[in-house]
Amino acid sequence: MERDGLGALTVEEVAREAGVARATVYRTFPGGRDEVVGAAVAHAVAGFFADLRRDIGDAPDLATLLERGLVAARRRLESHAALQRALQEEAGQIVPRLATVMPLVIDGVRAELTSRLARERLRPGVVPDQAADLLARLFLSLIGSPGSWDLDDPDAARRLVRGQLLAGVVELDPPG
Amino acid sequence: MHSVSDVTQATVIHDRLEVGEGAGAGPVAPVGAWAAEYLAAGDAERRLVEAALRCFARWGIRKTSVDDIAREAGVSRATVYRVVPGGKDRLVQVVLCHEAGRLFHTMDAELSAAETLEDLLVTGIRGLLLVADGHDVLRTLIRDEPELVLPHFAFHQLDRIFDLADTLARPHLSRFLPPEDVRPAAELLARVVLTYAFRPTPWVDPHDPDSVRRLVRTYLVPALTSPSVSEPSLSDRTTDPAQEST
Repeated sequence: MERDGLGALTVEEVAREAGVARATVYRTFPGGRDEVVGAAVAHAVAGFFADLRRDIGDAPDLATLLERGLVAARRRLESHAALQRALQEEAGQIVPRLATVMPLVIDGVRAELTSRLARERLRPGVVPDQAADLLARLFLSLIGSPGSWDLDDPDAARRLVRGQLLAGVVELDPPG
Repeated sequence: MHSVSDVTQATVIHDRLEVGEGAGAGPVAPVGAWAAEYLAAGDAERRLVEAALRCFARWGIRKTSVDDIAREAGVSRATVYRVVPGGKDRLVQVVLCHEAGRLFHTMDAELSAAETLEDLLVTGIRGLLLVADGHDVLRTLIRDEPELVLPHFAFHQLDRIFDLADTLARPHLSRFLPPEDVRPAAELLARVVLTYAFRPTPWVDPHDPDSVRRLVRTYLVPALTSPSVSEPSLSDRTTDPAQEST
């Protein structure tokens, strides 16, 4: 897929590349081509977030985690050659695939944020599950589409996280 | 992180090889152009867009031809190409944009009547989520032709939606926020509406106004009104705790 794109992929090519028989591909993925592509996209997404977690897992608090996460994820996304190519040349193929795995990605990010929120001073009225859900969704939205935020700039990421993301969620120390 | 097989099992979706090329590709319109186009649209264009939406509802996007749309709108083929020169992919964009704008404007009176930022956001978010929930045409298109619709809601293409959100929400948000805060606010609100429209959750239920109000009051109003925190002293503190003790 990285070499030829999603649209051109065939089971024969996958088998040849992996050095196995066509029958082996079908035994592993009974759904054939469609299932192979789905598994490959899912694998790439899982790898992306595993790498991201390694980048930022040692962040001392939620705000720092989100700030570093946005900057690191954006950098990874922009330098992800296979994804950028797919978005340029076959967005109709890749975007629905990513949309299909997105609920699981939201679940994963939400779980991570829920455990982080347990160590924060929450503002009155905040329900941790709800806050984690909202933050996970906004975090992922910002990674894919930063809009007018320049996430190459750690200072912008800090303003974004401490304002739009966390102002309603946790008690942040006042500056100074 | 989930195992690959977990993810794989969830991955069965329409796979239509014939649209591989072209969908979602192509140059992105300059910032603001898309939204400005909506506002500047004449009656003929509106009629065309409404006709296209009816055709999409009847036959789906791929099976709708430019001739079908021209006939439905009672205009010539040449008119369709003049109004929407970019072909069908471009037409999908324009239709989505016009439809969003039309729906937004049906709420204009209600939004103008809001006396607080909280009321404004509750009205707007709830109204848009209700519309998304009940929009059979859009839901059918997303289900049956995701490869033609979803790219318009993802990655850099979302910039067009942000432009539209800014254009449509600015008059209302400006009553409560300083001008420089309107764009980021419109983007945040667009993200919130889109995520809960595409992937609903029980805790934000447009049929339960109180749930939307809790979302707005607890999380969104503080998010939009918190003072900017860019002071260097804060960044020193958070990145280097050792400095605090010196």
